[in-house]
Amino acid sequence: MTGNVLSTGQAALVLFGTFAALLALRIPVAFALGLACLPILLIEPRLSMMMLAQETFNAYNSFILLAVPFFLLTANLMSIGGITDRLVTLSKALVGHWPGSLAQINVVLSVFFAGISGSSTADAASQSKIFIDAQTKEGYDLSFSIAITAVSSVLAVVIPPSILMIVWGGLISTSIGAMYLAGIVPGLLIAGAQMLTVHLYAVRRGYPTYPKSSWRDMQCAVWHSLPALMTPFIIVGGILLGWFTATESACAAVLYSIALSALVYREIGRKELYRALLDTGRLASVALFCVGTASAFGWLLAFYKIPEGLLANVSTWGMGPIAAGFFIAFCFLVVGCFLDAIPAIIIVGTVLEPLARSVDLHPVQFAIVSIVSLAFGLVTPPYGLCLMIACSVAGVRLRYAVKDTVIMLIPMLLVLAALIIWPSVSLFLPRLLVPHMLK
Amino acid sequence: MTATPEAQPGLWRRLTSGYAKLLELMLAACVGILIFPVTLQIISRYTALIPSYIWTEEMARFLFVWTIMIGAMLGVREAQHFEVDVWPELSRRAEAAVRIVARLGILAFALVFVWAGIEFTRFAWHRTSELADLPLWLIHVAWPVAGFTWIAFAGEQIVDEMRVLLGGKAQ
Repeated sequence: MTGNVLSTGQAALVLFGTFAALLALRIPVAFALGLACLPILLIEPRLSMMMLAQETFNAYNSFILLAVPFFLLTANLMSIGGITDRLVTLSKALVGHWPGSLAQINVVLSVFFAGISGSSTADAASQSKIFIDAQTKEGYDLSFSIAITAVSSVLAVVIPPSILMIVWGGLISTSIGAMYLAGIVPGLLIAGAQMLTVHLYAVRRGYPTYPKSSWRDMQCAVWHSLPALMTPFIIVGGILLGWFTATESACAAVLYSIALSALVYREIGRKELYRALLDTGRLASVALFCVGTASAFGWLLAFYKIPEGLLANVSTWGMGPIAAGFFIAFCFLVVGCFLDAIPAIIIVGTVLEPLARSVDLHPVQFAIVSIVSLAFGLVTPPYGLCLMIACSVAGVRLRYAVKDTVIMLIPMLLVLAALIIWPSVSLFLPRLLVPHMLK
Repeated sequence: MTATPEAQPGLWRRLTSGYAKLLELMLAACVGILIFPVTLQIISRYTALIPSYIWTEEMARFLFVWTIMIGAMLGVREAQHFEVDVWPELSRRAEAAVRIVARLGILAFALVFVWAGIEFTRFAWHRTSELADLPLWLIHVAWPVAGFTWIAFAGEQIVDEMRVLLGGKAQ
């Protein structure tokens, strides 16, 4: 329209078509996104391949994203520093006497972990190692064990702190503090839905139940894990009180977990520390590298005004906030099947943002609905990162655990629907505590 | 680093695995060091112990860029970059063929990074950063380095898979 060689429709076809074809050839997502930009950059005389270097650089040169490695490092330090063991003991004291004990512990540990780490992949990686083997030894079905470990790990990005909320806040300026608070109730509801699912499975299939812990054991467990349980308050509280920026709060969490592991629990050696640093670097950079190429891809979408083109029809449907909420959730659920959550936010979040604004969907509710939908995308095939991690730890292929995962997703989807229909489910806490952040 | 992977299996493999070890070391160091500038930033805001350095934020960002790039280089060697798996279970040979195609994609992207990266580095040759006055090419050079590294790592994998495909012994 403004002297570009390609029209909006043509550019969209080239970008999405190339990307899909490359994915089918099993080229890694990050590389497929970058390569999909290539034909356009070669066709359009005003653009050059330099743009790929420049856009990836701009994406990485970000203080906000720096929170990602810090969150992963906190998670890794927790699992080597003896903190996870204490939290397992606490979870056992709390829910160990319910049917399907070990699986209930699995979910509750994910809730605690979610309050400390903001990364579902870190949660899936560490809990798969703890639970899958242990559960199958106690007679749980392998596919059930994989599925519950994977679906419970999505809590990590819904319950604060959350990497996705930080990325969202950096990209679609929404208050991170308000999103953190808004994620708490939905996160707990999803956890509740999962525990209910475990209960039904356990009763029907006769999974083992532990004896009830004594009151004394419970007190001990709480006392031992108290220092670790303080972490979410440092992170979320620090942000709400204006002490830290999001990145600084993640760094504070790292320092706190180092202090805990080294001084209080005293279970950290030099070798483990090196492993933790290296694993963090690996996981963080593989996830973030994709952000760079996704940004380049998203930049081209914006260059050709493709988002406007895609939404031109949708805005004539005359949707209200609830219908728009379902539409947004549907988009993210579908995209989440094929894309990792962070690039999905970069590409789709920015596309849908004008739609959410036009129907007066509250920005924070929009963020939470989107993030919860994307979190579910972490366990939906063919590209469900957490499910992939759990399957690879168990040594089976993805499709092996798909059926149980889908069953477990149904109650979680009901929670998502509730989030869309009743805005106060997510907005209640931030309205109560930080009304000024919702403006 | 620009030599073709087929040249000398023995020496070449030792070289690349040594190089990967070096990258691992640098990656872990980067993540560890990243904690310092951000911590300094917090401490300087709340105490009078140290002045509030303005370069901490920039240093953290630049180190972060290198962290991601080094990790992305290693990610290719260890096949850690996530793929969408839509293929049914394949025979070992068919699997090798699919993998070669995927690696060729990485190779193509590596060439883009080498070409665009050299330009990108040249473009930054005489420029310095806004806050700490660091020469910018020190950061931009990560792009061509990543490109060359991917060529080496992905090339090596293509050779391996070729052996499988052509019926040699699987490694």
